[in-house]
Amino acid sequence: MINKKNVSIVLGIMCFALTIGICIQIKTVKKYSSPVSTSYEVNNLRTQVLKYKERYDDIIEETEKIDNELQREIEKATENNSELEYAKNQIIDGNKIIGLSEVKGPGVVIRVEDSKIDLSKLDINKSMDLSNYIVHDMDLLKVVNELKNAGAEAISINEQRIISTTSIICGGNTISINGEKIGSPFVIKAIGSPEALANLERPGGCIANLKERELVAVLKKDNDITIPKYSGVLNFKYLSNVD
Amino acid sequence: MVILIMIIACILGAIVGLNAPMISYTYSSYLAIAIVAALDSVFGGIASVINKRFDMKTFISGFFGNAILAILLTVLGEKLNVDIYLAAIVVFVGRMFSNLGIIRRYYVEKWTNKIAEKNK
Repeated sequence: MINKKNVSIVLGIMCFALTIGICIQIKTVKKYSSPVSTSYEVNNLRTQVLKYKERYDDIIEETEKIDNELQREIEKATENNSELEYAKNQIIDGNKIIGLSEVKGPGVVIRVEDSKIDLSKLDINKSMDLSNYIVHDMDLLKVVNELKNAGAEAISINEQRIISTTSIICGGNTISINGEKIGSPFVIKAIGSPEALANLERPGGCIANLKERELVAVLKKDNDITIPKYSGVLNFKYLSNVD
Repeated sequence: MVILIMIIACILGAIVGLNAPMISYTYSSYLAIAIVAALDSVFGGIASVINKRFDMKTFISGFFGNAILAILLTVLGEKLNVDIYLAAIVVFVGRMFSNLGIIRRYYVEKWTNKIAEKNK
């Protein structure tokens, strides 16, 4: 007979490893997959999307890491040097203004959503354009414009920071901001004087207009709003200083 | 004794596995194929114990070798855009069934013999 103790130890280790693997696998699959479709194609596509999403997240994480490294390097370089210290503060201030750093402060949060009314119950003969019941790029542009007019210092829509080069354009059934497609509901955050920004709710203002079209538009004042930094790359090719 | 240790190890493994960090989705297909390969080795091991041909070295090398080979084949298949893992699954699961057949036949025979002896 083979040494029974050895056999049981080895088998035990293997069972251990196997169940660890199975449990991890079950956990991972549970986290990622919604009900599995019977179609091979659909499953494959889902897997592809998940993989790309993961790669995208990895890259964002990597960028963040590199950014942190840059910060550390700046800190290190400016240590014990008042002149560079001044330059560093200028960089920090500049980043805050042009949108390359995360900022926080008091302001308002506006939630704009497609209309919730049941379109099938509408009297089609009477009703006007059905596209009135969804949020368009123009609506967001108007809100952003009014926010700027009311003195907003930083604005973001669904975590997309609005900076000087930001475009808000219609992209089919989504809206493209900073080249990123976003969809309803739209959460517009703005930092500024909450009282001044809340004036958007005035009768005849842009929020009242949205509400008139049966869209969901809610404005809330908030004392602690965090607005993310612009995640893209600023690329100025044609621009140069006039000496 | 052996079975008791196996059960304890399974429970321990489940506890550790449930608390272990999740792996990324990209690698989960590799882990899945490795699990199938390892399961195949386990059933193969049990079948060879029944056949009295059990060899520890063969078993251990099969357990890890099969798993690693299956992962490598899956990676290669992804690079070549061929679903090689399908072949691995067919082979492993096919073998698993034949090994299960051996195990089942052994116990059924043992059982019927016992009943026959009792009847005598």
